[in-house]
Amino acid sequence: MKAFDEIDPVAAAVYFVSVMLVGMFISAPMIQLFSLLGAAAFCLIGGRGEIKSDLGFYIPMFIMIALINPLFSHNGVTPLFFLNGNPVTLEAVIYGIVLAVMMTGILLWCRNFTKVMTSDKLLYIMGRAVPALSLTVSMALRFVPMFKRQMKKVSAAQKGMGLYSSKSYTDRIRGALRVFAAMVSWSLENAMETSCAMKARGYGLKGRTNFAIFRFTLRDCIFTVTTLLLLAAVIGGYALGYIDFYYYPRISAADINAGSAAVYVSFAVMAFLPFMIEVKEALKWKYFVSKI
Amino acid sequence: MNENENKRADVRKIISAVICCILVPAVIVCGAELFKDKQYAWISLCVTILSCIPFALTFEKRTAKTGELALMASLAALSAAGRILFAPLPGFKPVTAFVIVSAMYLGPESGFAVGALSAVVSNFYFGQGPWTPFQMFAWGIIGFIAGLLSEPLKRSKVLMIIYGIIGGAAFSLIMDIWVVLWADGEFNPGLYITSMLSALPFTIIYAVSNIVFLLILSVTIGKILTRIKKKYGV
Repeated sequence: MKAFDEIDPVAAAVYFVSVMLVGMFISAPMIQLFSLLGAAAFCLIGGRGEIKSDLGFYIPMFIMIALINPLFSHNGVTPLFFLNGNPVTLEAVIYGIVLAVMMTGILLWCRNFTKVMTSDKLLYIMGRAVPALSLTVSMALRFVPMFKRQMKKVSAAQKGMGLYSSKSYTDRIRGALRVFAAMVSWSLENAMETSCAMKARGYGLKGRTNFAIFRFTLRDCIFTVTTLLLLAAVIGGYALGYIDFYYYPRISAADINAGSAAVYVSFAVMAFLPFMIEVKEALKWKYFVSKI
Repeated sequence: MNENENKRADVRKIISAVICCILVPAVIVCGAELFKDKQYAWISLCVTILSCIPFALTFEKRTAKTGELALMASLAALSAAGRILFAPLPGFKPVTAFVIVSAMYLGPESGFAVGALSAVVSNFYFGQGPWTPFQMFAWGIIGFIAGLLSEPLKRSKVLMIIYGIIGGAAFSLIMDIWVVLWADGEFNPGLYITSMLSALPFTIIYAVSNIVFLLILSVTIGKILTRIKKKYGV
């Protein structure tokens, strides 16, 4: 059911970078609203996330950010009331809400990004530009669970020998330290042996190729071109001033004309693109099933 | 092969120079000029990512030295595992101490690499986000400076403890800057002081945990690293 996971890592990365770029830098309220809704829809349809605990985290954060801005920023010309002699202005309140929408939206996009771009996909992308670095990251990622397992083994062995098994606090700390020291030397030795094996197999020599499981298909190509065209439309509209919006000193009137509508529609399509892909695939699935 | 290497080194130097002298100021100026809504959080994010690139490039020149890569990977994995292990205790993290000790024995560039990698790797468990580059930069730079000061730090335990405290405080202060930029969109000194004060207990725990871990780790890990370096000739 997660059609977006099948998209080529490069195409997915282009999409995420484009949508987050717009979400981070263009603060027009409509853009921010679409960014948040698109990210939330993506989260929900992909089943990417535990809705209850997520709401418990994002809603308080949203309220906190929305409150901080008017309390600390006293710009704007329309005071609503005074707090400790400082004006709380309408502009600051509205800007705070937009800021909260923006931050929540970006966090949700980051969350989607982490779910879709698993470490193997990230390393596949990084491997072309910085091979040594991505090799190191992938080794480190593999070491973490291995170390955790080894740590359990070492401490079980220590306990089995009857060492450091008393309940006293100092004894337990000394035991933990001993396990840790054993771990460090074991892991470093292990890493050095890995590197010897790599050298023996010719790592870093000329003409070696890397295995990759991903293929850039026509669908990925269409997806990337669509993303880039929509991004160009949004940035072009922004550069031409179609969606200029000011919060300070006075909130600018949002006039909707053909130009700004086109920009908003482009971004809405962009933000909901993963959602639409998921829905399309889900419908296809349902349609095929019902015919059987 | 050698000529090729030299050429690649030159390219790296040029890229680093372009980033430091042109791109970073350009991002700051354009960011401040173009985006009138004071999107400082995102601008500083771009600058942080850019400033990590020269380090990534110096890292690449070690492609042939698999020993160093493996050593770096396992140090980063160990500090990430430490962060995961101590996750239930807020503020009590061995990462900074680990980065400092590694840098003391392996040099400034490796120190930066271990610090930055620890952030990336552990965030695969804690969640990646806009804060990842900031943590990479903060831990990386703490490691880099520790590597530069490696001789005095190795000689005197007092200096090491002082550096541990400064490192722990610096990490909190750098991350507080990010929190303020993030929550407010611009740098607000009042909010910065508020967040600094509210984070003070964590900063203190963090500094104390640094001292504890440094005192424990420096002897053990120092011995092991020296031995490994001698045994495998890294």
